[in-house]
Amino acid sequence: MRQIVIKPRRGFRVPVEAERISPDVFAPLSIEEIRSLQVWEGNRKVTLSDLFEISGESEPAPPEETVISLSGDFSGVKRIGENMTCGKIAVAGDVGMHAGNGMAGGEILIEGNAGGWLGREMRGGKIAVLGDAGDYVGAGYRGESCGMRGGEIRIEGSAGDYLGEHLCGGTITVVGDAGDFPGIANRGGTIVIGGDAHLPGAEMASGTITVRGRARVLPSFQRLETVEIDGLRFDKFLGDLVDGGKGELYAASVEEG
Amino acid sequence: MIIEGGIVYDPKNGVLGEEMDVSIEDGRVVEESRDGEKIDARGMLVLPGGVDAHAHIAGGKVNTGRIMRPEDGRRGTEPRTKLLRPSTGYTVPNCYAIGYRYARLGYTIAFEAATPILEARHTHEELEEIPIVDKGALTLFGNNWEVLECVRDGDLDKLAAFVAWGLRASRGYGVKVVNPGGGEAWGFGGNVKGIDDPVPSFNVTPREIIRYLMKANEALRLPHSVHLHTNNLGKPGNYETTLATLRAVEDIAASRDRQVLHVTHMQFSAYGGTGWKDFESKASEIADYFNKHDQFTMDMGQLIFGSATTMTADAPLEYANARLLKAKWSNHDIELEESSGVVPIVYGRKNPINAIQWAIGLELALLTEDPWQMIMTTDHPNGGPFVNYPEVIALLMSRPKREEELATLHELASKRSSLPTIEREMDWNEVAIVTRAGPAKILGLPEKGHLGVGADGDVSIYEIDPEKVDPSRDHKEVKAALARAKYTIKGGEVVVRDGEIVAVPQGRTYWVDASVPEDQAAKVEADLASKFAKYYSIQMSNYMVQDAYVTRPRVIKAGVI
Ligand SMILES: [Zn+2]
Repeated sequence: MRQIVIKPRRGFRVPVEAERISPDVFAPLSIEEIRSLQVWEGNRKVTLSDLFEISGESEPAPPEETVISLSGDFSGVKRIGENMTCGKIAVAGDVGMHAGNGMAGGEILIEGNAGGWLGREMRGGKIAVLGDAGDYVGAGYRGESCGMRGGEIRIEGSAGDYLGEHLCGGTITVVGDAGDFPGIANRGGTIVIGGDAHLPGAEMASGTITVRGRARVLPSFQRLETVEIDGLRFDKFLGDLVDGGKGELYAASVEEG
Repeated sequence: MIIEGGIVYDPKNGVLGEEMDVSIEDGRVVEESRDGEKIDARGMLVLPGGVDAHAHIAGGKVNTGRIMRPEDGRRGTEPRTKLLRPSTGYTVPNCYAIGYRYARLGYTIAFEAATPILEARHTHEELEEIPIVDKGALTLFGNNWEVLECVRDGDLDKLAAFVAWGLRASRGYGVKVVNPGGGEAWGFGGNVKGIDDPVPSFNVTPREIIRYLMKANEALRLPHSVHLHTNNLGKPGNYETTLATLRAVEDIAASRDRQVLHVTHMQFSAYGGTGWKDFESKASEIADYFNKHDQFTMDMGQLIFGSATTMTADAPLEYANARLLKAKWSNHDIELEESSGVVPIVYGRKNPINAIQWAIGLELALLTEDPWQMIMTTDHPNGGPFVNYPEVIALLMSRPKREEELATLHELASKRSSLPTIEREMDWNEVAIVTRAGPAKILGLPEKGHLGVGADGDVSIYEIDPEKVDPSRDHKEVKAALARAKYTIKGGEVVVRDGEIVAVPQGRTYWVDASVPEDQAAKVEADLASKFAKYYSIQMSNYMVQDAYVTRPRVIKAGVI
């Protein structure tokens, strides 16, 4: 394993676009070459080492044997791990928006919180967040008909609004609560929410959403039956009938009215 | 400027792959140039600049496509440079990208295919922002109340006066007719089902609308003929409507040396079958008819696999598309003139309908014997974006490429079309006709599409040696060379070198100013005054496109006096 450690030299007042922080990009490069990779800080083009202290083995290694450790506050750093296909990124801290965009394989572990659009349009691999995540986890970007198509996202804390919007595959697990409209326009993915959720599955065509806490369910869902999963009783719904949807929604507790 | 030693194809002037020089001075082709600038084109293919006679590149529905499709905007982004503004989009590129991408392909003029008069200002605002290429816009007339009333009253003179007025009001170049009558019926949630189905409230039929507009077009001696999007477009079995339409106008004669009717994106109008299950190609029936009737022309409307954005004044068609595809849908009512719609689509190789549609476009181009009757188009972005023209040309030039592609498609493409049996491969002369000389002739642009003395100094040079490369076998080379012009020269100025833009001049906008007798013009003005007072949401004074909207016009005179 080749380990590369990255630490911010200072705080960032404008967002840094750091899609180059990825095992696939780093793997064939020496440490010097990694330091001179170009990134944007706001509208200024800078090198990675202008912004970050970078250390680790200098010799290139295959991407699957590349581990990138980020330590410090990366909440202003966007697009970490974009399009990565293998290897690992471990973050001891928070990350900014769009981490794991279009990721196809490998692993991202975030010990702190993640910003919005985590794992947007992800195709494979794993993302784990020990803290909370922002809005649009696993979603499609504006206008897309598919968000995440495969892979796994697990959030130990809570997620923001529009969790898994336009999900076309893969699994998202949130141990805590989800915000408004989780699983909106779901087209075949799986979402499990440990806590509460508000109006899950609006416009869903297929796929499954399970809410182990309380859910306010849209009137366009049809209540089918009561089922037992892992010792917990759920009301099972079919929807979203507003659009002829055949999605499955399970809620342990339904908020009436 | 002298372009030295290239292999020149200039079909209009009978130049078939001769090694010769082309001289340009003051923006025009001349016998001999003295300014000393030389371009070495030895071993390269030299063609007149490309002419796109039908694409949706400016105006309300193009912009609706952009607004609806932010996901398209982020495909094809290119950052600005010292010379270039930023580009965005694939099926609905921004204005700058449209100009740059045409120029990189070696195209130097493009026509927006459908502008309602009411939205013509917007069209021109966008055309003004498209750099490099010359352009023009066809104006929609097929569902306009004034047209329907003139047809109902049998008043051809007044109709001609209105067409002249409409072209001036919209700074338009020609008469576009889209699903005549259907757009009006759509205002009441209906459509017309054939050329003899009357339009609600007006009691006129599509047959009458088409015939009257063609007669008005010829009375005005307009440079271009009526440009028709047929009724029932996009529906299985519609080839019968298409043939019935053509038979209904066989007796009308052209007033100029050109076709009397251009049927556009024929691929969408050449369908057999009673529904989607037995959907099949009827391209050979259409091509047979064209082979016997040289007064008609068509363009392909070739389908390109992948992302497209359908946009048309045929609003009921877009409603059907949106229901079928469960896609995003925009619907638009254009007051007394038209309706329109926009729906994104993805054409799939394994989708049997799309695969057959792909085959139909190619069949039409290859079965129509006279290339002067056929224009290569994709009905950008309905069949696919225009940046795919090199792909289409490579398909027309190479049977092995067609076979390679067919092998990747749903098997019905081979079973429900005659494409696998077609041996014809176009040569460079035919390609020069279907992309340059033909569209220029069909549009009525005597200074475009050729390299004779007096022609506009619009030239495209490609890094491919027609004497060494066999397009049938080396189709990949053909496609790569055509996608990235070695040089594009626009009005005598090098605008592309080695596939990169090196200069960004502003092109001209063509429009047609047709004169009519004053008494007829007065009748039209009186009608319109009452329509604006009663129905339009804006004043007539805010309706006309003023000169300020067309800063570099090229005005073509026509008319009856
Ligand atoms: Zn069109």
